[in-house]
Parts: sequence; C-alpha cells; structure tokens
Amino acid sequence: MNLKIIWMDFIYSIKGWYRSKGGMFWSLAFPVILILLFGAIFSGIGSSKYTLHIQDQDQTEMSRMFNATLNSTNLFSINVVDADVNVTSFIKEKNIKSLIVIPKGFEQTIQESFLNPSARVDLQFYFDPSEQTTTQVIRSVITSILQEMNKNLSQSRTIIGVREISTITTNFNFIDFFLPGMIGFTIMQGAIYGSIERNTKYRKDGILRKLLTTPITRTEWILAKMLFMMFLAALTTALITIIGVLVFGMTVNITAWVIVVIIATSFLFSGMGMLIGRFVKEEETADTAAGAISFPMMFLAGTFFPLEQMPQFLQTIAHVLPLYYVNEALRNSMIYMNQNESLINGAVVIIFAAVFFISGVLLTKWKED
Amino acid sequence: MTEQKFKCPNCGQITSFNGDSGEVMLVSCETCNTKGRITFSNSGMNNNYAIEVSHLKKVYGDLIAVNDISFSVKKGEIFAFLGPNGAGKTTTVEMIESIRQPSMGSIKLLGKDVETQFNEVKEKIGILPQEFHSFERLTVQETLVYFSNLFKKKGDVDDIIQSLDLTSHKNMLYKNLSGGLKQRVGVAISLVNDPEIIFLDEPTTGLDPKARREVWSVIAGLRKKRKTVFLTTHYMEEAESLADHIAVIFKGKIIAEGSLEDLIRNYGKNSVLHIKKCKNADDVIKMLNQEGYEQVYSEGNGDIAITIDYKERVLEILSHLRHDCIEYESLDIRRSNLEEVFLRLTGAKLTEDKEDAP
Repeated sequence: MNLKIIWMDFIYSIKGWYRSKGGMFWSLAFPVILILLFGAIFSGIGSSKYTLHIQDQDQTEMSRMFNATLNSTNLFSINVVDADVNVTSFIKEKNIKSLIVIPKGFEQTIQESFLNPSARVDLQFYFDPSEQTTTQVIRSVITSILQEMNKNLSQSRTIIGVREISTITTNFNFIDFFLPGMIGFTIMQGAIYGSIERNTKYRKDGILRKLLTTPITRTEWILAKMLFMMFLAALTTALITIIGVLVFGMTVNITAWVIVVIIATSFLFSGMGMLIGRFVKEEETADTAAGAISFPMMFLAGTFFPLEQMPQFLQTIAHVLPLYYVNEALRNSMIYMNQNESLINGAVVIIFAAVFFISGVLLTKWKED
Repeated sequence: MTEQKFKCPNCGQITSFNGDSGEVMLVSCETCNTKGRITFSNSGMNNNYAIEVSHLKKVYGDLIAVNDISFSVKKGEIFAFLGPNGAGKTTTVEMIESIRQPSMGSIKLLGKDVETQFNEVKEKIGILPQEFHSFERLTVQETLVYFSNLFKKKGDVDDIIQSLDLTSHKNMLYKNLSGGLKQRVGVAISLVNDPEIIFLDEPTTGLDPKARREVWSVIAGLRKKRKTVFLTTHYMEEAESLADHIAVIFKGKIIAEGSLEDLIRNYGKNSVLHIKKCKNADDVIKMLNQEGYEQVYSEGNGDIAITIDYKERVLEILSHLRHDCIEYESLDIRRSNLEEVFLRLTGAKLTEDKEDAP
C-alpha cells in the first residue's frame, strides 16, 4: 500500500472538484439553497386524517364523552391505549407522534368543580415537535373542544386544561427534521454520481486502462477516492450544520456516531454507484439510472417529509431503502438525542454499506473482457 | 531448454512446458485435455527484442478477434501495426498491455512474461490508450505530475513539456486544449516514467491533418531517444512516414510484415493511374470494368484510381477516354504505396474515407 500515492490522488481529486462549477454547485450550493428555501417556506402539509392515540385512565362516562367528541370531528384515526400501559415507554417503543391521556379522576374533578372553584384537571397531550402540522391540528381541535366543554360547565373558568408534553426534550420544527435528511441526501448524490463518473466516464476516456498499466493498485485508487468522498461528506455536513445553527438557530449534536454513520453512508452510496456503473456502462445512461434510483429514494425515505404523512404501502417501501436508515440514524443522533434509535438505524446503514461496497468492489474491474 | 507457460483457452489452467528455442510443440491441457500448440521463443537468449508475441489469440464467443498471430519488435524501432478499423489492432495491443486477457498465446515485454510478470515491467512501459482523455480539470503540468508520481522512476516533467512543445500550454486545463494538444499531452503522459517501450494506440485518429503531423513529429522525436514505439494506426501515411517495421493486420490475422520497402517490393508490383476530377466518373468506371480493368476505384469528387500492371496500359486507357470524349482535369501515375499493397492483399481499401486521411 503506497500512502503517498493515495494522498497525491486525494489532493488532485480536490483540485479537480474545486474547479468544477457543477461539482461545487451540487455538493455545496444546492443543499444550502434547499435548506434555506424549505426552511423559509415551510408550511403544513395537509393530511385528511391524523393518527391520535388516547389512553383513558378514568374510564367514566365523562371521559368516554370526551373521546366520542374527538371521534365525531372525523379528523382523527383514534387508537385506544390500555389504561395500565406506561405511556412514556409506549411512546418510545412504538415511536408514537401524538397521544392524549385522560387522567384518573377526570370526571370526579369536574364534579368537584361545581363546589370547589379551584378544582381543575389537565389532559396530557404528548406530541412530537417535528410533526408540526399534525401537532398543530390536534392542539387546535382539543382547544376548541375543551373551550366548549369549559363554557358549558362554568361559563368562564377553565376546569379542563391541557398539559403539553413533548416526546422529545427540546422543541423542534421542520428544519430540525429536514437538516439531517439534507445531509444524507447530499452525501448520497455526491457518492453515487462520483462513483458513476469514475466507473463510466473514466472507462470511456481510457483513464482506467491507463491506470491499469501504472504501478497504482486498484485498492490504492479506491481508497484515495473514498478519502475524497469522506472529505466531501465532511464538508457538506459542516456547511449544512453551520447554516442550520446560524440561520435557523438549531441545536445540532455532532457525535462520534454521526461521523461513523456519515462515513458508512459514503461507502454505501459509492458502492451503489459502482454497481450502477457496472451494469449500465454508458455514462449518460448510468446518470439517468442513478437519477431513477436516487430521486424516488429521496422522497420515499423521509428526507423532506415525515413517513407518517405517506400512505401505508409507501411507508413499507421506505423500510427497504438505505437512505431511510441514514436519515433516521442522523436525525435521532444529531437532533432528537435518541441514541438507541440512532444506533439501530446506523447499524443497518453499516450493513447496507458493507454489502453494497464489497459487491461494488468485487463486481467492478479495470480489466477489459 | 526454455520454459513456456500455456494457458488453456477452455478451462484457463496454466501449465509449464520445457523445450528448445524455436521449437513448436503440440500440447494438451492436464485438466480438460484440450489440445493446443506452443512455440518456444528465443527471447531469453536474445535480448534484442522489446516485444515478443507468440500464437496470440482472442476469442469472443463465435468471433475470433485475433487469430493466432506472432511477431517481434526490436528494441529502438518504431513498429507500426497497420489495419482497418475492426481488424484486431486494439485488441492485440491491449493484450500486450495486459488490459485484456488473451485466450491463448504468450507475450513477453523486455523478456518478462506479461501474464505472470507484468508488474515487473510496468515501470518500463508508457501507454497512450485509444481515444484517451485525461482528467478534465487538471492543468497540463498537474496532469503530468500526477501520472509521474505513480511511478518510482520519473522523467523530468519540465523536460517532457519542453520537448513536446507544450510550455505555453502547461497551465491550461486539459479540457480547454485542442484535439491535437490533447493527443500531445497523451503522448507526454506516456513518457513521464522515461519508459523503454511506448505504446501509442491510434494516436492521431480524429485529428485534423495539421495536428496529425504535429503528433507525427513528436513520435519521430522518440526515435532519436532510442525508444521502442509500438504504434497502431489505420493511416497508411502514418505508417509510411514513421515506421521502421510494419505488420499489416486484417480480420485478426497478420497478412504481411516487413519494412516499407520490403512490403512494396513483395506485394506492390503495380502502379496506380489517377484520373482527377473526371466527368461522369461512375460511367467511366463501368466502361473500364467492361474493358477488362478489374481494379478501378472511385476516390470521390470524380477522382478515379486504376491499378495497372504495365505501362502500356496507360496508353490503352487514354485511348478509351479519348474515344468516349471523357473530360477530366489531370492524370498522374504513382508507384505503389501501402494502400495499394493492402488493396492487393485484401481486395479492400485501408482507409474507408479519403477525406479521413491526412
């Protein structure tokens, strides 16, 4: 292994990239533009029905009436959670976005309020701040129902209130959701298209044939290119993060695990690019094939929109897409601080990376038939 | 006794055999019993040869791209591998460069077997692949430094730039160079390790006549440096003006080999009468065919070429032209060249389009 050659190739790759307006645009300017654009124009993405979980700990006529009122709005698909279930664990395990708890003593407090003016009971509304639209809709519906109930019960006092509990420690908005997705997407694009260029254009231009007749080995060359891809990934991550922090005031946690996931992502999509270049040998056709794979993946893997807003069958498809696990691993580690979830998703990314990269290296070659 | 390795075209099994230099031996594969023939080269004993190719064959399914060819290239000579497109030139040179795997046969570069010892000769060869385009966004100098750094043995990049007259372009990006300059850079890249053998695969294809002659002058300069040059081309003028030794390949077979003089002496006994800008050229060709002239060809733009085997034929043809009141601009008679040699050997023209030639 000649490290000098690897380093030299890496430096010359940076020179070539730095001089490419297209390369600079797609790897740096494009993600920044998208971040700024989406951050600025974000608005709710409507859904005719929102999933809402309800735990009725009171199990009284009054609590059932509240449930029935919620149901009658026809806005929600309501799932009942058993009264003895631990809500916090349930939310974590099932990745629940919205849950209302009707506490024990709900009816009794309301009855007491006729005698005791200070009596008050609060519903607990657990919500995922990254699901802004859903949260907003549920919040306004609950508020309207409670206003009506309070008015009927006491004319002016608040007897039934709402205590909002974020399922995550910090408050999040769309840009928090979007930023890790943008990092994953940009690394994917750079790695796939870079790999395709090396495996189709360089083959057509005779560069691979030329390299085959020089002392550089294919391993050294691939390592040099992966070093360059990791440099690009690091640059992209840093730039997108800086924009997020400076422009949108985000709190982003860059952990060692995030770096591992980013490196694995570079390997994963470089391997995918190699495989595309292996089977679709013409550069233009390979670019089209890459677009046909990466663009649907971008939308289906929850880069721009939460999976929950998609039909069930698309959510199922998302779970076989590597980018979905990249997004989830980065999001959970960088934003939601849910390291366990990130570890699981990141492990899947590493497995995908090993499979795609090893297949790519084994199935591509410099030699001609 | 010398050792020769034999790779079975059927199962890929490599077996070693011992024999005397020059001996031809019938062998069979130990694994699948496929029969074959090997020739024991005398390269180990004769170090005058830079390249030795023996019974080289390349088969793709039913297509035999290269069909049992053998030849040697002496050190310090410019060797032209001449043939039309699709004749097997690039397949052959890429097998010699270890880019393609031969189906059968042996190749030695500087006495080293390409199949097993190619890494030992990488430092000593320089290659310009066919239709080569380098990294678009590196400058000429950076490109040469990049490739130079891949080798232990390095030529002086500044000297190479100067000797190929690239000094004024050394800071230009490769993508901004003209076709001729790109090919000159390609030749320069093949020199960065100061190689003993340089392979140039169709280095002037697609260039305009001026750029082509510039590249020729660079290749001619390599002779002065006593480099061995293996040049593939389908331009007969290129082979005529540059090569010390020419091998003509057609449909995967070498059909003639020798110096230019040898080839013309052995295969090009006739002369060619050229009629320039002849009116109704197609009718004239038909008329001459009817008169018994078999080798009459249109060269486009009303130009006609007629192969004649003795001078009196010229008078006969003139008499026919006068009799039929044929108008034309001029006539000339040329001695045989490689084109005519090729025509005689194959019945086909080497260059399909006259405008493509320099």
